[in-house]
Amino acid sequence: MSPVAVFRLFLGLAIVVAVVFLLVARSTQRVREVDYKAAGQARKVFFFTLTGVLTAFLGITLPRMPYPREGVIPDRVVHVVGKQFAFAISETPIETDAQWEEVTSFAPPVRIPVGSLVEFRVTSFDVNHGFSVYSPQGQLLAQTQAMPGYVNRLRLRLNEPGRYTVLCLEFCGSAHHRMRGVFFVE
Amino acid sequence: MADQVVVSPVWSGVEQQRWRRLTATWMLVMLLLFPVLLLLGAFMRIVQANWLPTLLPEWFYAVMTLHGLGMVGTWFVGAMAAVSYVLTQYVRPSRAISWGTLAATVLGVLLLLVTTLVGRFGVGWYFLYPLPFYPAGVWPNWATWMFLFSLAILGVGWTVWAVDLLRAIARSYSLRVALAWHYIRGRTEPEVPPAVLITTVSLISALAGFLAAVIILVLSVLEWAGTGFTNDALLMKNLIFFFGHVLVNITMYLGVVLVYDVLPRYSARPWKTNRMVAIAWNTVLFLVLFAYFHHLYMDFVQPQWVQVLGQVASYFISVPAAVVTIFSALVLVYGASMRWTLSSILMYLGVMGWAIGGVAAVIDSTIAVNLRFHNTLWVPAHFHTYYLMGVVLMLLGFAAHFGQEVSQQSENGRLTKIITALFVIGGYGFLLMFYLGGAHSVPRRYAVYPQEVLQGVDYARIALGFIALLFLGVVLYLWETGRRCLLAFRTSP
Amino acid sequence: MSLGLSHIAVKRALVRALGILVGVLILPSPLWAQVVGEKTDRPPSEGRYLYRSVPDIPIRSEPVGMTLLSALWRERPLLLTLVFTRCAGVCSPMLRSLKAAAASVGGAGRDYRILVLSFDPRDTLSDMAELADHVGVAGDPAWIFGVASAEDIARIVRATGFWFEWEAASRQYDHPAMIIGIREGRIMRFLIGGAIAPVRLNEVIRELRGEFVPAYPLPRKVLFRCFQYDPASGRWAPDWGLLLLLLPGMVTILGTIWLFRRESAHRLSAEALRSREDVPGASDPGSRR
Repeated sequence: MSPVAVFRLFLGLAIVVAVVFLLVARSTQRVREVDYKAAGQARKVFFFTLTGVLTAFLGITLPRMPYPREGVIPDRVVHVVGKQFAFAISETPIETDAQWEEVTSFAPPVRIPVGSLVEFRVTSFDVNHGFSVYSPQGQLLAQTQAMPGYVNRLRLRLNEPGRYTVLCLEFCGSAHHRMRGVFFVE
Repeated sequence: MADQVVVSPVWSGVEQQRWRRLTATWMLVMLLLFPVLLLLGAFMRIVQANWLPTLLPEWFYAVMTLHGLGMVGTWFVGAMAAVSYVLTQYVRPSRAISWGTLAATVLGVLLLLVTTLVGRFGVGWYFLYPLPFYPAGVWPNWATWMFLFSLAILGVGWTVWAVDLLRAIARSYSLRVALAWHYIRGRTEPEVPPAVLITTVSLISALAGFLAAVIILVLSVLEWAGTGFTNDALLMKNLIFFFGHVLVNITMYLGVVLVYDVLPRYSARPWKTNRMVAIAWNTVLFLVLFAYFHHLYMDFVQPQWVQVLGQVASYFISVPAAVVTIFSALVLVYGASMRWTLSSILMYLGVMGWAIGGVAAVIDSTIAVNLRFHNTLWVPAHFHTYYLMGVVLMLLGFAAHFGQEVSQQSENGRLTKIITALFVIGGYGFLLMFYLGGAHSVPRRYAVYPQEVLQGVDYARIALGFIALLFLGVVLYLWETGRRCLLAFRTSP
Repeated sequence: MSLGLSHIAVKRALVRALGILVGVLILPSPLWAQVVGEKTDRPPSEGRYLYRSVPDIPIRSEPVGMTLLSALWRERPLLLTLVFTRCAGVCSPMLRSLKAAAASVGGAGRDYRILVLSFDPRDTLSDMAELADHVGVAGDPAWIFGVASAEDIARIVRATGFWFEWEAASRQYDHPAMIIGIREGRIMRFLIGGAIAPVRLNEVIRELRGEFVPAYPLPRKVLFRCFQYDPASGRWAPDWGLLLLLLPGMVTILGTIWLFRRESAHRLSAEALRSREDVPGASDPGSRR
């Protein structure tokens, strides 16, 4: 489901909530006794409906977790290291500050064949950063945290050719908004 | 241990007046901090609207830190003070400790002001490790130390306060009774007001959260003092999000205490504890400790079962809130002979905001959705809904009720309508811009929006129009309620 | 006047010289070998070759005969290593170490097989059989010893980061000691070095089996972790950090119980003294508002 579709779902539900509250508020214009039995019944229905909907959504959404599955072999690995304030993105591992400098200053952007299943191995050399992949149209596709001392593995199939931007999505200091990276899919 | 028969405390006239003045002081502190912090928030949106292009971004982040911590702290202390006052119907908290906490809070806030506005300390309200130790040339060392120190002062003050309130409850109720376990077994005696039940649940959770903060501070100081050890970033992240999540949630619940206590007075219908309420809040006590995992979905290093637990807990914690409290609030009001005053309107709207914010939160607590919403503007969208249009309205509703009580002045019906309209339009319009930002992949906590997400600038600009309306409503509200609260200090009660 | 050599003898000498020349030029001779692969000072970097495809080359082995590499990896994952039989250096010790580690870890033949290929064009199948015997794995179905053409070996070498170079002085090949874990034709892991630790081998075999380790904590001196990964068992064990995380909840619950118990004494005595009617001038809480 696209983020905009999710937003529309939310908006719909929010409007339903608002309408319910409005109607209940307006009901006070005509004072009446509450039929507690009917209210109790309605509450039961609400309880079962809500629990049912939540369980259904658990069933639908949990299989779609972005965590890499066993047994699937990606087509290639891209190493990412975040550090104040740039992302080093490379097909060769980045293990030292010197290598990070080199990749961020001199290395040409990584180019990935279209349709590849890419595994991004993401870490940080200093604070928490957020590795996020934005499509050529500027839509956030996926993300994972870049944490010092750990390597997160994010797998993404890149079907659309173009220029992909990496923005930092975890607040990391005064130039957080300028922290970025880029790679190409062709 | 037999279930104790509970007897409410008896207050002399003088004591009552002292309580009123203490509470009025807290309310005034809350009402003073609110517009200041709101303006700081507006400042953030102004920067994001690109209307201060020459401003150094570090100022945005320093203000962001102050705004976040300030708001979280303000509504927590406001809620605690209001709830303490409500609970004096049933228990005897200590006024001395409350005054002491006020002093600690004021000191902590002053230190924070210096840390952020002078030191330019900018780590965000939940100071995610190890960012405080990586200033990137912006804030000096002393700012980090002062920050840790101010948190320690606030933490000690608030922990002592929470322990005292829990002690006061323990003085009158056994733990099983306070948690209304006998209601679950089908008995209604001794009667336990919802305020006592919910406050007990909230305080236990709050203390767990504060303890986590203590551990964070100790570990941070150990590292910062140069012992040579590095902390595990994952452990620190778990601790920080446990603390933060619990703190903001129990603030919500304390606000709900006020709704349970005050709203029935306007609907002339009772709202009592029953079996369902007891089950609901005991469930909340359990689930609130596990829901925090939803802040770490994007840390793929967390064990997968923990992530699933986070989604399950986050989903189902909405059930007691929706099916018990919110539904009951609607039943309470439905067809009632309702006195719609500023107080009851704001509280009612606060419940609605809680419901709407809850929908947004449950959506984002879906891991598959979180992949694309985490740390976008959707996050401030939902927590501002919970806060601004949820707990803040509940607290403002309480303050209005309290102001009415101490002043005995009649309300200006026209002004009430205007204030309500400004809050609703200004507040929800402001929130809508956040939601749209999240839906369009605009990151949160960006001082400047890069080319890929320039729509963020437009949303910020439109949001400022709504903020102006909201602020006008706040000013009118402050005039109405602030005046009335001040009357608590007149010599004749 | 004649030189004393018959023209037949001269012809024979010429043919022999020509033969030697041709042999030297055409036959694969160590004297003419260049560096095959990219020689580096540092060991081959797994990160560069991860998930790359291994060329599917034909190999000859006993008793299988002629087969494609893909036929082998389709049956089960492979641990591929490149050696030469005349190696006076690390090859045999590495193979012995691998044999010991495999015995310790278990699963050889069932979960994976070991393919030993020679990169030396002089090696024949009987040389390889001798090597197998020498290492002590002759007849073991988990071990396959084979040879392939020089061009095919070069393709494997380039695809995996291995390299070899003839050193005239020692009349030996210089090369890294390296084992490549292959699953479904893709490089999954390397094992570098002549001494194979069972723990490391276990890690590699787990990945070859398809087990996925989503996290890898980098080696750091860290105060408290939540979990420690034990590569030997492949399990995560709780560490001190987890206790720290559970501490707030546990301490608070215990503290709350203690607090309420402490207050129960006061509760009992207050109840005993309580008499609402006897306190003059006091307001009933219910009428306060």
